[in-house]
Amino acid sequence: MNISESILQAFDSIRTNKLRTFLTLLSISMGVFALIAAGTIITSFEKAVLQQLEDIGETTFWIKKTPSIQTGHTWVKYRKRQPLTYRQWKELKKMTKSTNLISAHSFTVGTKISAGNLSTDPDVYLTGADNTFFITNSIDIDYGRAITEEDLEYNRNVAILGNDVVVKIFPNTNPIGKEIIVKNQRYTVVGVMKSRGAVLGQSKDNMVIIPITSFLKYFASPWEESLTISIRALDRQLLEETMDEVIGNLRVIRNLKPWEANTFEIETNETISQQFGSFVNFLSIFGFISGGFALIAAGVGIMNIMLVAVKERTREIGIRKAVGAKRRWILWQFILEAITLCQVGGVFGILFGIVGGYLLGTWIKLPMYFPTSWIILSVVVCTILGMSFGAYPAYRAANLDPIESLRYE
Amino acid sequence: MNVNNLNRNPLIELKNISKVYLVGEEQVFALRDINLTIYPNEYVAIMGPSGSGKSTLMNIIGCLDTPTTGEYILKGINIRELDDNDLASIRNKEIGFVFQMFNLLPRANALKNVELPLIYAGINKSERIERAKKALISVGLEDRLTHKPNELSGGQRQKVAIARALVTNPSLILADEPTGNLDSKSGEDIMRLFHQIWKEGNTIILVTHEREIAMNAQRIIRLRDGRIESDELNPQKVVFESVEE
Ligand SMILES: Nc1ncnc2c1ncn2[C@@H]1O[C@H](COP(=O)(O)OP(=O)(O)OP(=O)(O)O)[C@@H](O)[C@H]1O
Ligand SMILES: [Mg+2]
Repeated sequence: MNISESILQAFDSIRTNKLRTFLTLLSISMGVFALIAAGTIITSFEKAVLQQLEDIGETTFWIKKTPSIQTGHTWVKYRKRQPLTYRQWKELKKMTKSTNLISAHSFTVGTKISAGNLSTDPDVYLTGADNTFFITNSIDIDYGRAITEEDLEYNRNVAILGNDVVVKIFPNTNPIGKEIIVKNQRYTVVGVMKSRGAVLGQSKDNMVIIPITSFLKYFASPWEESLTISIRALDRQLLEETMDEVIGNLRVIRNLKPWEANTFEIETNETISQQFGSFVNFLSIFGFISGGFALIAAGVGIMNIMLVAVKERTREIGIRKAVGAKRRWILWQFILEAITLCQVGGVFGILFGIVGGYLLGTWIKLPMYFPTSWIILSVVVCTILGMSFGAYPAYRAANLDPIESLRYE
Repeated sequence: MNVNNLNRNPLIELKNISKVYLVGEEQVFALRDINLTIYPNEYVAIMGPSGSGKSTLMNIIGCLDTPTTGEYILKGINIRELDDNDLASIRNKEIGFVFQMFNLLPRANALKNVELPLIYAGINKSERIERAKKALISVGLEDRLTHKPNELSGGQRQKVAIARALVTNPSLILADEPTGNLDSKSGEDIMRLFHQIWKEGNTIILVTHEREIAMNAQRIIRLRDGRIESDELNPQKVVFESVEE
């Protein structure tokens, strides 16, 4: 069939039925946009999480009061759980034989750090951690030193800075030995972390680590703050054994009866992946369902436009048949027209999707990812959409009686 | 009928053709028992009052419609045995239609309109354009190639339609009231064109209810109530032609 002619004809239909076509194209682009946006977000999250898991390694697991990723209203279930306290951690450390790498940390978001007359935005992660935290969570020191046992023991006000903080408040000087002020408290900088890049658009270097003891004293209420306990097994083979021991010990510490369920969450790379998986499913189901609905609505619109086009062009169909057009030519002409209409909507959807993804990406500092495979998918989807919803009108056109069509006014 | 045709094969043969429409319970005979043979390079006018079956006959001859009973043989091919696709390609190759209402594609220019049958014949673009141009030149529209139908006069539109009918070199040109929507001046123009086309060796069947128009043809067939009432040579035309030669 003459493809270029059908495409031109499709643009003609767009011109003659402006409002209806506009609404239909709008719903196609919404549908495609939803697909592309959901796809882009999923892919970006996937990349980010994989990166993070890779960074930390597979021998570390975490114990928390509540899971890190929650979907729906599950928080109700965890609300009554008692916090994991500093004392419980200390006890766990003492009881556990299979590993000595049991760290505790907690953090607050949105702290302002200053030195002299320079200061950061109030967006720094202020983390309180013990000395083993650096090992369990694979945080390397670029220069200076990490937190030591003595820092904790003597409640020293020392701090390890992330690169972003250094750049802002010590742009031209070596920060080691300098003083910083965190909410009226003075800390001495003893080390700088190695840069760790960004995950999900969040820089991991916009961070200051201080001793957990000091953190609990000045920045949290020691009895309510729930800590995250990170445990690193000494070996991949020992992971399960270590986990069993830690869980058992913690149950004893938290006075759980044998029939009671754990009142804490154990997270491994695997459980995080699983949680992430269900989160992605939630997102993608949402994206695909809303995109699907928009596309079905668009399909009905396309069908409507094409039925009107067939009616309006009855005489044209008669002329074409009189000069020798076979059924299948007419069929293809109208199907191609429907596909073209869908692709026009799809192109706008893709453009909105890319621009929207880009804006969203720069807003939450997500690494920009070009959704090539999702674009291909939406082109395919638009083609299928045009074919399936264009088929019936095209079939009607192909089966029109030539004589009656030629008489049609 | 015509002495010249005795040693030639007929172009079309209609044998006992009837066309019946069912309107509710009632049978309407649009054509009854039509027998008709037409040889190549005849120029035939079909006359008759409204409702006498002229258009129905033309549609059957043009393979747009099939008879209820009877045989129609076109160039030795029995049309009854053909399916929808074959009929379409017969229309494409053998028939050129000219309608009262012109029936041009409104959004396509003259050249595109004339190209249309060649598209369905599967002819490549450059040859298509060349042949369409030639056809438009032959009807005297060389300076109207890119005009759309609404930018042309009625007579010019009909000339585009004639060019479209001629462009595939069909065996048969069918014209149903080609001057019915034209003023007398443009009508004469069109009839002169048909005369020229006939002289070039084409076969023409023309429906009209105007005697004057019918007088251009070589043979005049009169229909009444779906039957052939009379079928005779046009003495005027025959005499006129022999004088001219
Ligand atoms: N689709 C149809 N259904 C029912 N009856 C029909 C149909 N088409 C034609 N007829 C009838 O067949 C008869 C012949 O119609 P036809 O159109 O061939 O007449 P005509 O000679 O071309 O008339 P006119 O000069 O008005 O164009 C008429 O009585 C008409 O009512
Ligand atoms: Mg008629």
